[in-house]
Amino acid sequence: MVRTRTTTRKAAVHATAIAAASALALSACGGGGTAASADAAPVATDRDIELSLVWWGDDDRASRYQEAVTLFEEKYPNIDVQTQFQAWDDYWTARSTEAAGQTLPDVFQMDLAYIHQYASNNRLLDLSTQVGVNLETGEYDETLLGSGSVDGGQYGIPTSTNTLGMIHHDDLLEELGVEAPEAGLTWDEYDAWIREVSAAGADHDPQVYGGTDYTGTLWLFIQWLLQQGKDAFAEDGSPAFEKADLVAWVERSQPMRDDGVFYPVERAKQVEPLTGLQVNEATTELTWDNMMAGYAASAGTDNVGLLPVPTGAEGSQQFWKPSMLLSSSATTEEPDAAAKLIDFLVNDPEVGKIFGTSKGVPAVPAQKDAMEVAEGSVDDTIVSYEEEVAERVTAETPIPVEGYGVVEAEFKRLGEELSYGNITAEEFADQWFQSAGSNLGGE
Amino acid sequence: MSATTTERGRRAGGGSVRAAPPSSAPARGGAGKPSRSRADTRAGYAFLSPWLLGFVLLTAGPMLMSLYLAFTDYDLFQAPQFVGIDNFTTLFADPRFLKSAQVTALYVFVGVPVKLAAALAVAMLLNAKHRGQGAYRSMFYAPSLIGASVSVAIVWRAMFIDDGIADQAQQFFGLPGGGWVGDPDMTMPMMILLAVWQFGAPMVIFLAGLKQIPAELLEAAAVDGAGPVRRFLSVTVPMLSPVLFFNLLLETIGAFQIFSSAFIISGGTGGPADSTLFYTFYLYIKGFTEFRMGYASAMAWVLVLVVGIITAILFRTSRAWVHYTGDVR
Repeated sequence: MVRTRTTTRKAAVHATAIAAASALALSACGGGGTAASADAAPVATDRDIELSLVWWGDDDRASRYQEAVTLFEEKYPNIDVQTQFQAWDDYWTARSTEAAGQTLPDVFQMDLAYIHQYASNNRLLDLSTQVGVNLETGEYDETLLGSGSVDGGQYGIPTSTNTLGMIHHDDLLEELGVEAPEAGLTWDEYDAWIREVSAAGADHDPQVYGGTDYTGTLWLFIQWLLQQGKDAFAEDGSPAFEKADLVAWVERSQPMRDDGVFYPVERAKQVEPLTGLQVNEATTELTWDNMMAGYAASAGTDNVGLLPVPTGAEGSQQFWKPSMLLSSSATTEEPDAAAKLIDFLVNDPEVGKIFGTSKGVPAVPAQKDAMEVAEGSVDDTIVSYEEEVAERVTAETPIPVEGYGVVEAEFKRLGEELSYGNITAEEFADQWFQSAGSNLGGE
Repeated sequence: MSATTTERGRRAGGGSVRAAPPSSAPARGGAGKPSRSRADTRAGYAFLSPWLLGFVLLTAGPMLMSLYLAFTDYDLFQAPQFVGIDNFTTLFADPRFLKSAQVTALYVFVGVPVKLAAALAVAMLLNAKHRGQGAYRSMFYAPSLIGASVSVAIVWRAMFIDDGIADQAQQFFGLPGGGWVGDPDMTMPMMILLAVWQFGAPMVIFLAGLKQIPAELLEAAAVDGAGPVRRFLSVTVPMLSPVLFFNLLLETIGAFQIFSSAFIISGGTGGPADSTLFYTFYLYIKGFTEFRMGYASAMAWVLVLVVGIITAILFRTSRAWVHYTGDVR
């Protein structure tokens, strides 16, 4: 009897324990190694070559890429291009695991926020050996091309440029009977204008707000710093500004949050990944100018406009930024063909026509001129905006620092906490500098 | 395990090859032709090899690797740098780590009991004898068939935004309106509801357990004057305790590992305001968006330890409340 009892009990306990142990099983990742590069030679035409091409973006961009790739394959029948795309966040997750396993794609979109990290860890192909062989860069503006170089190597080729701007939704403004904002607003004037619109939109169904809280966008903070004649990052990659600057930035918009005149964060979280302007509930948004095409499409109107970002005491100080670059893996087996594909994507006029301004205004004049821009279209607005802004561009593009992507995400997260009223300006600055300390270069 | 197999194999071999005395089998095996028992053992391992290989290469190996990484600074790009226990000390000074531990603890300690209670309640209802009970059982289990999928989380999110079903119901009953998705105080109830709604797996196990309870016991209790509550507490619960224990363990461990639904509902941010920043989610952010694999590995091992300790505590306490059939006390 006793024996039976313990056996039953033990068997049951064991069975449960085994089930528990298997439920506990976890996994992890590992990897490592080094990379190499080869001498450039004109791309082979006598053998079959397979290339992978990966980008971040939406369906709209995917169909444009597909069109461009078809053209490329017609021109180089021996090259077969395999494509793949993800949304921004998933894109970087996938790339970082590939980087660890040395399996990055032959050609892929790169961003200023990450190029430093990928390049300084030898994950990217130095394309400077390809220049003049498979890749032409003669049409490039020196400074713009320079944004793709890290420690003397050309690790990325900018495809297009963008600059910050203020998108305004004129359909909504007309509905509310409020005048569109004027060019050359200061930050304080912009805030006052938002208040006016939010008051006018209070009885609208759904409620309409003048603008979205811009405090949690690191690029806008950098823009604001530049307008005061201050730099964002030092040569060693550490922040070049003081904690007091950050506190001042957060505090200057605090009354707006206290009075609830910004587009509410509770609502913003719900409409993600869209924004207030895209769902016709906010009349302005400060963002990159090339976003306008997508914004207009989701809002369902072409009646949108672009203005420069608000100015500071020292004038506007706008800057150009390459909206994206194309890079190649350091371990690619086909560096020549990869360079050729990049060359085709950035230089071919037909490709310029296909993409329009959806990736920003093309960097190379041949592509820019090839665009068929209809009068009054969204493309037209963006191109003329960049032409107009060109006169105001006085600041250099801030240096892409290693770890920028991480501290940018942290900035955004803290902005959200701020909007919920969970932290103060001081706490914002403390927590961000803590993150900067462990993720950025310097000391 | 292997000892038992050999023992059994040897006995079987001895039985069929009559001439060979059992004791000579191992001695012969080395030089001469392989005995039947060794062949059996080898075949056994051969059949087992897919799982053994899988375990060693995909589970045990990576786990050992992550144990090593937990003591290093590793960004996926450069070779790991040994840093001792730095990751662990940083961990406990990291406000977001503490927040994620707090969020997860709340989810586990509130969500699991509620889910088990719901599962048991439904199992009791489905155990009663009704017409068409089979159809009901299938219907109630259905949510769990699609339960782990991404689409459910997307639908769940849609239900709890402004003007979603939940919001409309609140307005109908005159409760304050507004979506739950954007409100940091309401996201946890939403996540727990989602878990509770997926009660199917423990419910089926409960149902099987309930069917094992001899009807005579309940009838005898009824004859003795015990009401439904008394019968439930004094007969059903003790008889069901091994099943209850099993479900409690699995659900607790499973709850600690919640990831995908939170990832989708918060749009991959753990927001709003970190209110859905579950432990495994933060681990993922550290490892795959901030590229701090060493830190993430340290977090993984802290989780293993914590879950291990909680499991051990549950096993300990189980002696007091779990009754196995045939257990005489």
